[in-house]
Amino acid sequence: MWQWLSKTGLPKLGSPRWFYRLSSGWLPWLAAGLGLLLTLGLVWALLFVPPDYQQGETIRIMYIHVPFAAISLMFFPLMAAAGMVTLVWGVKLADIAAKAAAPLGVWFTGLALASGSIWGSDIWGAWWVWDGRLTSMLFQLFLLVGVVSLRSALGDGPAAAKSCALLSIVGCINVVVIKYSVEWWNTLHQPASRLSMSSDAPNGPEIWLPLLVMTAAVYLLFALCLILAMRNEILLREGRAQWVQDLGVQDPGVQ
Amino acid sequence: MTAPAPAVTTAAAFRATVQRDLLIAVRRRHGALNPFMFFLITAALFPVAVTPEPARLAEIAAGALWISALLAAMLSMDGLFRADYEDGSLEQLLLSPHPLYFLVLAKHLSHWLVSGLPLVLASPLIAAMLSLPAEARLPLLLGLALGTPALSLLGGIGAALTVGLGSRGLLLTVITLPLCLPVLIAGTLTVQQTLQGAPLAAYLSVLGAILLAALCLAPLASAAALRLSSG
Repeated sequence: MWQWLSKTGLPKLGSPRWFYRLSSGWLPWLAAGLGLLLTLGLVWALLFVPPDYQQGETIRIMYIHVPFAAISLMFFPLMAAAGMVTLVWGVKLADIAAKAAAPLGVWFTGLALASGSIWGSDIWGAWWVWDGRLTSMLFQLFLLVGVVSLRSALGDGPAAAKSCALLSIVGCINVVVIKYSVEWWNTLHQPASRLSMSSDAPNGPEIWLPLLVMTAAVYLLFALCLILAMRNEILLREGRAQWVQDLGVQDPGVQ
Repeated sequence: MTAPAPAVTTAAAFRATVQRDLLIAVRRRHGALNPFMFFLITAALFPVAVTPEPARLAEIAAGALWISALLAAMLSMDGLFRADYEDGSLEQLLLSPHPLYFLVLAKHLSHWLVSGLPLVLASPLIAAMLSLPAEARLPLLLGLALGTPALSLLGGIGAALTVGLGSRGLLLTVITLPLCLPVLIAGTLTVQQTLQGAPLAAYLSVLGAILLAALCLAPLASAAALRLSSG
């Protein structure tokens, strides 16, 4: 298996130096795409989407909230997958990605909760409701904070990488269990007002197309933030390597 | 090269680990009772902080007892591997030819017998003091009997991850408390739904399923984490 992988040249993907070089070329494209999609999506969603017949102008919060909520669900699977790669093959880059993703996960999940809270304050009349979805999102935020604080306590090194990988995998399993148990708890007790996302009813393409654009924009935002954070981390970790020192000559910002 | 056959069987190593930990707990009586006292005191704080009125107290009693048990289990977790790590006997466990899974399980068993079981047995008494209806005391007792070992197994993962960090009790709780949410939900639902006429076995079986899953998986994660933190 490993020999076959070596022939394909894939293991090079795990080399921080290679990633740093290659990602330099991606950054302008990502930034341009992000700027384009974000402008398009925001202008479309804020100015041109018709107001909802019940929620009025407030419906526009959806174009921020739904993309952030959708991307937040991806963090634990992503970190668990990177963790598996770290544990099995010890690929450095996988741990760098996992380390960069965890604080981003806190931010994106926090923004999903905050935007949902603002939306809820208007539509539900309450900033916070102990609804199944809100609760499982809140506990996902707590679990992400746990991964971040374990990382900051353990510092760097292969043992810290593997410990965080282990916690991410445990957390990923647990997020799924929490999601189902919380919905079970909630449906037994208080059938809370749910937001229907069904696109079959009156929600035509003029509603969901801008949402699609905004979702793509938020994914690009995440990719850009992740790659920038990973490049930072690579420079910090490989600071003593010759190729980083050589970079320092070209770019006075890198010490 | 083949490994030499171990002189003792894994079952004997399991028994020896349990015996040793129980013996240590008996010799150091003062420390072993702390989780139990913590549980008692936390549960006694709820009537003071919320309301002493029996009818309203009865509504929160199950949740208060479960939260107290959860906190007691988490805070006592810090000691699960710490002393062994400090005196070097943890290293002996790691070096032994037996599967670490069973040795971790043995440590959990002795730890639960000392810190979890007294709490479970005392729960009907404290439930009565919190005016939980009499018919809810058996579901509470059985729920805690199945739930506290599961909490202990989940907390063990956090304890193993943080064992090399010195005194980091708060980090351990930040990591493991969110993991315990499903146990808490199943535990409090057992009491509340049985009071409303649901069959007892329905909710207990969920707790049992969580315990079985934790028994199979959590010691594996703890064992891997122990090798990392003390390696």
